[in-house]
Amino acid sequence: MTRRQHDVCRFLLFQQFGEQVSVVGKYLLQKSPSPLHLISSETHLDTEQVKKILCILIQQNIVTFGQHKRGFIEYSIRTGEILNRLWFPKYIYCAKTLYGDAAELLLEDVLQRGQVQMSKVIEVVMQRFNEALETSGKQKISESFVVDKFSNLVRTHFLQRCLDPIKSESNKVVGLEVTGEEETLYRLPDLSRKRKKSHDDGPPAKRSKSERPADDEGDGIFWRVNNERFHQMFRDQAIVQAISSKIDRSAGEVLRAMLRVSEVKTAGMATVTTPISVTEIFNALPKDLMARPLLETYLSLICDDSTNFLSKVGDSGGGMYSINIYEALAQLVKAHIESVVQERFGSKCLRIFRVLLLKKHLEQKQIEDFVMISAKEAKDLLYTLFSENFITTTEISKTPDHAPSRTFYLFTVNIQHVASMVLNRCYKALYNAMVKKETEVNEHRRLLDKQERMEAIAASVEDASQRDEILNTITPSEQEQIIKVRRTIQMLDHSELQICEGIFILEMYLMYFKQRQKDKS
Amino acid sequence: MATAAVKEEPIEEVDFETRFIMLCQASPEGITDNVIQKELPQCDTKQRMTIVNRLLSMGKIDLLKSGSKLLYRLKDPDSASQVKGGDNQEKLVYQIIKDAGNKGIWIRDIRFKCNLLLTQVNKILKNLETKKLIKAVKSVAASKKKVYMLYNLEPDRSVTGGAWYSDQDFESEFVEVLNQQCFKYLEQRAAAAREAKSDPIAQRNASFTPLEDVWKYISDLGISKVQLSKEDIETILNTLIYDGKVERSLVAGQATASGDGYVKLYRSVQPLIPTTGLMRMPCGACPVFDQCYEGGAVSPTTCVYMKEWLEI
Repeated sequence: MTRRQHDVCRFLLFQQFGEQVSVVGKYLLQKSPSPLHLISSETHLDTEQVKKILCILIQQNIVTFGQHKRGFIEYSIRTGEILNRLWFPKYIYCAKTLYGDAAELLLEDVLQRGQVQMSKVIEVVMQRFNEALETSGKQKISESFVVDKFSNLVRTHFLQRCLDPIKSESNKVVGLEVTGEEETLYRLPDLSRKRKKSHDDGPPAKRSKSERPADDEGDGIFWRVNNERFHQMFRDQAIVQAISSKIDRSAGEVLRAMLRVSEVKTAGMATVTTPISVTEIFNALPKDLMARPLLETYLSLICDDSTNFLSKVGDSGGGMYSINIYEALAQLVKAHIESVVQERFGSKCLRIFRVLLLKKHLEQKQIEDFVMISAKEAKDLLYTLFSENFITTTEISKTPDHAPSRTFYLFTVNIQHVASMVLNRCYKALYNAMVKKETEVNEHRRLLDKQERMEAIAASVEDASQRDEILNTITPSEQEQIIKVRRTIQMLDHSELQICEGIFILEMYLMYFKQRQKDKS
Repeated sequence: MATAAVKEEPIEEVDFETRFIMLCQASPEGITDNVIQKELPQCDTKQRMTIVNRLLSMGKIDLLKSGSKLLYRLKDPDSASQVKGGDNQEKLVYQIIKDAGNKGIWIRDIRFKCNLLLTQVNKILKNLETKKLIKAVKSVAASKKKVYMLYNLEPDRSVTGGAWYSDQDFESEFVEVLNQQCFKYLEQRAAAAREAKSDPIAQRNASFTPLEDVWKYISDLGISKVQLSKEDIETILNTLIYDGKVERSLVAGQATASGDGYVKLYRSVQPLIPTTGLMRMPCGACPVFDQCYEGGAVSPTTCVYMKEWLEI
């Protein structure tokens, strides 16, 4: 965690939960884990207040807790979870494209509440959805439709159960754990239990008789969004998009089908997917997209491509192929970094940078020869890159005294290092964009509020001339101002999203890199 | 007896001298004392010494040292004639420059080799230059370094830098133009391939262009005043690879006269991603990014770059 990330975290907490939460959050970001009394004394907040704040944060999956070996409970903050909030709009959009509007509302509700019971969320969604349908004059949907969407999301692991509490002897919750296997996280409650209620003699069933009958379905089980699953999805999308722009759309579709097949088979953080046979890929492809010979052509085409996303691992089953996720991410990260170099230092610097990427270790003279730029200029560009830490040198001394005249200086690129540096820059830029947006909104709050109010009033007025009159209270100059501010906000929003995309790839790559290091050792 | 011996000597000496020269002619890289002793057993050490001294003073042979042995070598008749009129030092410097061939030799190295004073060497070099026996060529490796070589020699590529240099200046514009033209050509080939073929493999194969075609295209364009070799075009195409715009592939083919047995194919490629998000806002390329923080002299809320960007 770097300072830049902390800045973003703090800002997000402030924006979404208010000042006091951000104060607690800031403290926890610095001194995590801490016990309750320390938090309250250090932040000068009332213990009760801190308790409430912690409750909210635990509810939103941001804070976790555990027992210290001395017996007290410690709270720690999960920065990743806060940063994931940047992705919420994308999660919702993803659910919408996959399972339609009902799933969109479902996910929105789950995200808003953090942890929620199935029955509650379904109730809310039903209500909202039917309201919307009523105003547009369409037919209402039944409950089973929403339940179906919910179970779809669970089955595809987009939603998961919250962890079960561990209780101490005095019946205090001291921690959270996964009970049983990982699979149980995605087990749906028995939905047919409503009918078999007479067999059930547990306390929930008894209580349910007095309450509304819909409430007993899997109550006591809380659900939350499975961030990792979404990230996996985005990762796959990024890979598919890259190959689509490199080769063509059909190649992207082939890869998408492969990734969908491998989703179920491959372990979460595997750097290479399990081999998939041509037949499997063919079956997973949308019908009528391509004939089998064409599919095989595409597979060999992607294999031959310099990107190394795909490799053939065997001949059984018409050929076995596996996707090298790590390699794909590495290529994408390189592309992002190259883009940064290109835009920041120009194409000539990019050439130098890529020469170093391709040839690993080079002396200054060799670089000058390869890039075909005059020696003076090349030297200048090389040292610009060096001073900005995009490239590093390795000293190889001919003699033990490391005298400069008897030492080779080899330039090289350390891609992990550059990736984390660019990542930091991304976070800071993101923070800047968010701060700028906030100040823009605050500056023009009066104007924006006024416009909103006027539009609301105008919408409620029937008469056309009256409506015009109301709308005319906003002067043309104000109107102009409003358009400008809206445009500004939109631009900043847009760049926030674009930066997030870069951040995602960089984060993913660094995560996989660490995983690979772990696998090797 | 004594008179007879005296009379005999010059005859023998002349005879020895011609035989000595013949021996030297037979082996142009020089002969050692041993060889002379073997070939001319009747010639004793004293006689040999007088012959060598005479020939040396006449400037017909060179005395060289190879290891611990002495080596006698016949002087080039024409070089001897060319430096005619010059003194020994001049001859020596000329010889050193000649040995350097078309790579040339630096004045400092000449000084080391001949052990003469700088002023002397300068004078000799000036002399030789005015006689048009040698010339000074500026090296591309270091613009202030002059190298000397014989007047009639064509400087080596390492000295002139090949086609990419004119008057030891690197022609970056020329390289840029060639770089763009090569890329344009490959782009056109790729576009034509996309239109003509529907099969993805055929499409890719058609977009691959052999080095030869690129070379012909560039030659026909007539951008270059000098004749470019295939190797020159290859270095240009390499820069395109480093730019990430082009890919190269080696394909086994008929072994040609050049003897490679493979064909180098090039094709233009699409980038993997569009410009990354960071660089689409001013922060990406901001020069004062590191000094920027809230409440500072440079801050996101008062940023001029941001303001400019948002007002577009």
